[in-house]
Amino acid sequence: MADVGTVKLAVPGSARRGGVARVRALVIHPQERVERQGGRSVDRNYRFVNRVVVTYLGREIAVIEPSTAVSENPTFTIPFRATEAGQLKVTFFDSHGVKFEGTAEIKVT
Amino acid sequence: MTSTLTRRAWLSLAAIAVWRPWPARAQGHLANLAPEEPIAETMKRLFGGRPIKDGASLIAIDMPLIAEDGASVPIAVEVKSPMTPENHVKAIYILAEKNPRPLNVKIGLTPAAGQASVATNLRLADSGPVRVVAETGDGALWSATRDVRVTVAGCAA
Repeated sequence: MADVGTVKLAVPGSARRGGVARVRALVIHPQERVERQGGRSVDRNYRFVNRVVVTYLGREIAVIEPSTAVSENPTFTIPFRATEAGQLKVTFFDSHGVKFEGTAEIKVT
Repeated sequence: MTSTLTRRAWLSLAAIAVWRPWPARAQGHLANLAPEEPIAETMKRLFGGRPIKDGASLIAIDMPLIAEDGASVPIAVEVKSPMTPENHVKAIYILAEKNPRPLNVKIGLTPAAGQASVATNLRLADSGPVRVVAETGDGALWSATRDVRVTVAGCAA
């Protein structure tokens, strides 16, 4: 897991004005799961992505609250209405207070 | 005997010196996670006694029938909604009934999303129903489920 924190965004090459497009966002992250010993959960500061914010043209599209039961290298596909050309930003926050950010320029035709 | 007491005193002093409150950023401790509980408890905790309507005709869940690896099971959810400020899906909850902590993820949406269609990958601990609850802007709740067979458990917690 050398590249923890790498954010990859997949967006369409161009979107129809007023149409709905999708962004697929991925972060390289261990998304630790709760360990068990003798049937009991072990208490420690697990490291997992617990909040994801998607904005487009500075406006909030989605706020995601994942738990430890989302797969390693969490990925989310989120729709947005492509009103005009501009920046789409996805920010991942993890339980250790670290922030990972990715941006993509949306072209509208 | 005196020396034992002194040693004990020293140890307790050392313990006080080392002890610090949890850093504010340490959100990964069990106390900050959802408790281990059956799905009924989670539903009660999330939605109280609010009525949940059958949303089988509104909610489409796309998942494999048989998931070979419970550590990563793709799911796509689409909720029929015009996504206008007056009538939109505010949140989509995905819950795995057989997971020790059933809530996998909560996805909050705004009307700017244009569509209530999301996808992600889940960890599933065992074969069983995956439940999707959609909450609309006016607070109404709709739910649908989909059975998934898991070949190798994802040890989801």
